[in-house]
Amino acid sequence: MAVIALDRAPAIALPRGIRRSRRTVNATATVAITGLFVLALVPLGSLLWTAASRGLARFDVEFFTNSMLGVVGGGGGALHAIVGTGLITGATILLSVPVGVTAAVYLVEYGRGWFKRTVTFLVDVMTGIPSIVAGLFAYAVFSLILGPGMRSGVAGALALSLLMIPVVVRSSEEMLRLVPDELREASYALGVPKYRTILKVVLPTSISGIVAGVMIGIARIVGETAPLLLVAGYTDVMNYNLFSERITTLPVFIYSQWKNKGMDVAAYDDRAWTAALVLIAFVLLLNLVSRLVARLFAPKAR
Amino acid sequence: MRSRLLPTVGAAALTAALALSGCAANESGPDPSSTPSDTSGDSTAESPQTDPTDDGGAAVSLSGTLNGGGASSQGPAQEAWRAGFSGLNPGVTVNYDPTGSGDGRKAFSEGGLAFAGSDSAFGPDEIAAGGFGSCADGSGLIEVPVYISPIAVGFNLPGVDSLNLDAATVASIFTGQITAWNDPAIVEQNDGTDLPDLAITAVHRADSSGTTANFTDYLDQASGGVWTEGSVEDWPDSLQGEAAESTSGVAETIVGTEGAIGYLDASRAAGAMGTAAIKVGENYVSYSPAAAAAAVGGSTFQSDRSAGDVVVDIDRTIDSGEVYPLILISYLIGCETYADPSQGALVKGYLEYVASPEGQAEAAANAGSAPITGDPNVEPKVAAAIASIQ
Repeated sequence: MAVIALDRAPAIALPRGIRRSRRTVNATATVAITGLFVLALVPLGSLLWTAASRGLARFDVEFFTNSMLGVVGGGGGALHAIVGTGLITGATILLSVPVGVTAAVYLVEYGRGWFKRTVTFLVDVMTGIPSIVAGLFAYAVFSLILGPGMRSGVAGALALSLLMIPVVVRSSEEMLRLVPDELREASYALGVPKYRTILKVVLPTSISGIVAGVMIGIARIVGETAPLLLVAGYTDVMNYNLFSERITTLPVFIYSQWKNKGMDVAAYDDRAWTAALVLIAFVLLLNLVSRLVARLFAPKAR
Repeated sequence: MRSRLLPTVGAAALTAALALSGCAANESGPDPSSTPSDTSGDSTAESPQTDPTDDGGAAVSLSGTLNGGGASSQGPAQEAWRAGFSGLNPGVTVNYDPTGSGDGRKAFSEGGLAFAGSDSAFGPDEIAAGGFGSCADGSGLIEVPVYISPIAVGFNLPGVDSLNLDAATVASIFTGQITAWNDPAIVEQNDGTDLPDLAITAVHRADSSGTTANFTDYLDQASGGVWTEGSVEDWPDSLQGEAAESTSGVAETIVGTEGAIGYLDASRAAGAMGTAAIKVGENYVSYSPAAAAAAVGGSTFQSDRSAGDVVVDIDRTIDSGEVYPLILISYLIGCETYADPSQGALVKGYLEYVASPEGQAEAAANAGSAPITGDPNVEPKVAAAIASIQ
């Protein structure tokens, strides 16, 4: 308040030197902050530009309508990888969201004491799990059950859900905490049981935030390569069955195109860049969809 | 019940997206980049299909999924073989993980893969110990050399496309005893070539590699004692030089570094960099598929193995004719008898295609390898070994 008062009262003006120094500091800070912001954008812009300029070479109909079956050297497409990414991501969402959101509801609405603290601690630990460890876990589980060398989409989804669940739990937890207690109390005061309060008041109020959290989780896992390389594998052909045989995803497609080049090096590089561009576009699209969904779900003010 | 809607809507949106993209799939339609007989990518297609190849004799109908993996050197060739084989057998999906020879042999032993590709064969004692996961109890192994590739000594010197080097000079370069391109040892072998006063950067593989094993084996046998590290898959730590990951990494490092020299699969050196002709006897021989095949023809088979276990002892010191002894031989490894007969039929069909003239020609076109077909020493043994698969 004192500052405002001083600014408004030239009668008790400060010596000119102080005002000028303030202006200088302000200008310097503005320039520095803007500059750092632009600096932070440079890698992002460079990445987008590189992916777009190099990915456009193969951004054609064939890329989106063909698999790699029977392709030697140039040509071919990544439809099998695009479909595989969609299937595995969808299965991961189905595994992670119910578990993650209910865990968050437990932590906020029911949990207390040592058990709650343990769950919170374990979720924090899970957040830091390296993705390859999640892949090894899924590999070990499915190898023990189904024998060595097995690959399947559902194993990939299991590995990815280990990475996605903690993200969903943490973000949903924050969102549920933001719901004002007055809303809960009002609901209880009307005699509504606790579970109905959660389903009808707490979750709808925070749903847009939860959806945003889920989308962050998806963005976290959609680019994962290592665990999928291990448990979902690589194949040239379409596979719609999550429970049998290998499924290619976009990150694994990019990796194998880059790593295993034939004599016509440019053809493999072009496919890898285009797949990278598609993956970036996929994440962008998911973000747009999430905003739409959040808007549709947001409670209507009357 | 709004909370239940969230996953449902997410799944519905994804399903819709998938359905749309799935509809656009034209794997079942004419695929412009595939052979005409190449139809669906659906691995579960059960439609009876007559195998139009005549090298198998009877008409065979194959379907199912065949998983293999191992040597990355075979990667480009495997790509050509997969494409050719699935063109002839639309019901079969073949997968090959080029994760490395050691990984491939291990996964095959554990039963995770039906066949393995490897730059080095299993030892006789390993085969005798048995316990291979995909094989029937007591089954031996068949190991066939199907991929013969010259290893090029590639370099980056502006204006120089070819150099003559003998094995001792190559060994001296990679051990750091020769450090400049105008060293007398190089100059005296290359009359008329203007060699600059430029430091040599020797590039080697950072990862464990069959290419390194064959390169060091060549230096060990042919350099007359200059190379003292033996034949090793991992580059010796005691030696200086620049390390690069995988064949691609070596190629990129050489192309990007003036004065660099390295060893790599010849398919990746062709046209991208200068290559050395190595001294054989009194002549200098450039790499070529024919010269590489000649090196195999002049070599002997290891004698302590069964009939289906065709392992070549490469003689790197051959000193006559157009022979390029700096080669890599990669094997396909499978069971004599499979625990699952349908897998046995698939492996047999696939290996028959790989070893056939068509398969070898495909590999030569896509990977620059030397065909084994036409070599009276190798071809019949390989064919007999594959025919014995059950």
